[in-house]
Amino acid sequence: MIASIIQADKVSKTYHTGGAEIRALSDISLVILPGDFIMITGRNGSGKSTLLHQLALLDFPDSGEVIINNQKTTELSEQLRMDFRLSSLGYIFQEYALIAELTAIENVMLPAMMLESSEKAKKKAAQLLDKVGLTNKHNRLPSELSGGEQQKVAIARALVNSPRIIFADEPTANLDTIAAKEVLNIFKTLNEKDGITIVMVTHEPEELEYASRLIHLSDGRIK
Amino acid sequence: MSTQIRLPFYLAWQYIRRGRKWTFFLTIFMMSVAFINLIFISSLFAGIIDGTNKQIINTMTGNFYITPNDGQDYIKGKDRALDLIATVDGVTGESARTQVPARMSYKNIRGSWQILAINPEDERLVSNVADKMTSGVFLEPGDDDQIIIGRQIAGGENVEENAFSFKGAKVGEKVTLTFEGFAKEFTIKGIFATKFVEADSRAFITNSALTKLLPTTTDFATTIAIKTDKSASADTLTKISALGIEGKVYSWQEAAGLMKLVAESFKSINALVTIVGILIAAVTIFIIIYVDIVNKRKQIGILRAIGIKSYIIIFSYVILAAVYAVAGVILGTVLFFVAIVPYFQAHPFVLPICDAVLVLSKLDYIARAEAIMWVSVISGLIPAALTTRTKILDAILGR
Repeated sequence: MIASIIQADKVSKTYHTGGAEIRALSDISLVILPGDFIMITGRNGSGKSTLLHQLALLDFPDSGEVIINNQKTTELSEQLRMDFRLSSLGYIFQEYALIAELTAIENVMLPAMMLESSEKAKKKAAQLLDKVGLTNKHNRLPSELSGGEQQKVAIARALVNSPRIIFADEPTANLDTIAAKEVLNIFKTLNEKDGITIVMVTHEPEELEYASRLIHLSDGRIK
Repeated sequence: MSTQIRLPFYLAWQYIRRGRKWTFFLTIFMMSVAFINLIFISSLFAGIIDGTNKQIINTMTGNFYITPNDGQDYIKGKDRALDLIATVDGVTGESARTQVPARMSYKNIRGSWQILAINPEDERLVSNVADKMTSGVFLEPGDDDQIIIGRQIAGGENVEENAFSFKGAKVGEKVTLTFEGFAKEFTIKGIFATKFVEADSRAFITNSALTKLLPTTTDFATTIAIKTDKSASADTLTKISALGIEGKVYSWQEAAGLMKLVAESFKSINALVTIVGILIAAVTIFIIIYVDIVNKRKQIGILRAIGIKSYIIIFSYVILAAVYAVAGVILGTVLFFVAIVPYFQAHPFVLPICDAVLVLSKLDYIARAEAIMWVSVISGLIPAALTTRTKILDAILGR
């Protein structure tokens, strides 16, 4: 039996907005195995991003537990959760979330500089930018790159500390068809050749073929 | 770990290097305005105090002042005393003044003002009265029938103490000094105005004039004023005291009288204004930096999401705030000393007691620059720390 890399056990999350309660997740339980390429689908407001935030340790569930490598993450301090995110998880935002004042290579090397020398971080960042097809754009600022290129920088940044899992929240939502396909192919390569687990949120039906497993959410529950 | 230590500096440097230049320079300019505001009022008060002190020294007491011993009306051996004082290092002038025991009258107005007999040449080296003649000229050694009077004695329109004056006496007119048993008429040779009411309520005749009227006062003085230059040291008073002169030696501060209280009052007001100024500067700087950092809330959230530790993020913004402060202080200093101080030297504040220019001591400058630094660092620290304590998603998504 293969050990899970991430496990969600009855995870629930409720938002309180203007006096109203919105139950975003209701007792979600799932197991993610090493090497999975999981796509989480569902309509707007179904809880896809909320689930991803819980799994990537960017948020705390109201109840339930996210277990990573047999470690209950609600028991971890914020510092340990941050260390875990830094060394073991990569996160890609829909809006790229690059630092505007840093060039492509500086954005990518930033998380690596927390763990190793700037020289090593820079070398690694350059290799990753080449890998995602941005060979000649290392020194461009985010404002000088297209949406697809910015998302590739974000992917390279997520990979820089050699994580075992990549979380991506609708990474192709702001991209044209060609750029979206390039990004998905990068994920496919990372998953198939490098064995990196991918957990991705999407609502594009044509992207589902890349996944090895699908999780469909509706009203905060897995269907 | 060493990379982690360098990371805040790296981030701060990139914010400065690649951030919006206009915002960066505007922030520095506003910091410099806050700094100038802090030093300007303080410098003005220091200038008034300095101007008042100079008035006391230059018109009244000199740097040191000798009065008769307790129970005595005069300092005996005036000429010997002056010779001895001249030997002390740093002394540039000494003038013996003898109180003239007479009442003064002009037309039908009579009064008791302070009339002093002086050696005009000695007095020129100690006081600036000779340079403050508004009409007529200063006394010369042979002027035995002439007198110079202060603006407050001469009186006239707009004179502060006109009610107790000659109400418009002019150069060339006669005044009478009435002694015990006799009187003597003097011609007004000049009228002086030092802008110092106490100094302008005096009149001067020559020593030779007094000696002719009261021969017994030849070698007596009521006070001796001593002027020193910058080479005078803290022990100059001790050296003068050790000369064996029959009198008590005081520093000008001890002889300042009412003006000492005025100067003390200004110091108190200055301290209060400085505290208020620091509070205003603190609030201004806090708002400037707070707005700057709050606008970077999303960026702070992203940094945390990718694993950058909070202390690194906070420290990077503290460094940024410190850079704003240092640059603001430098710009403020340049503007202050290159533009503002020269302007007010050319156009001093005209006050009833003196013409004040801006004076900023090294200590005051450092203290205010330090205040700006600390306020800036705290202003960087608080919003950055608060932002790193909010939920990552709230920071990124602007919730």
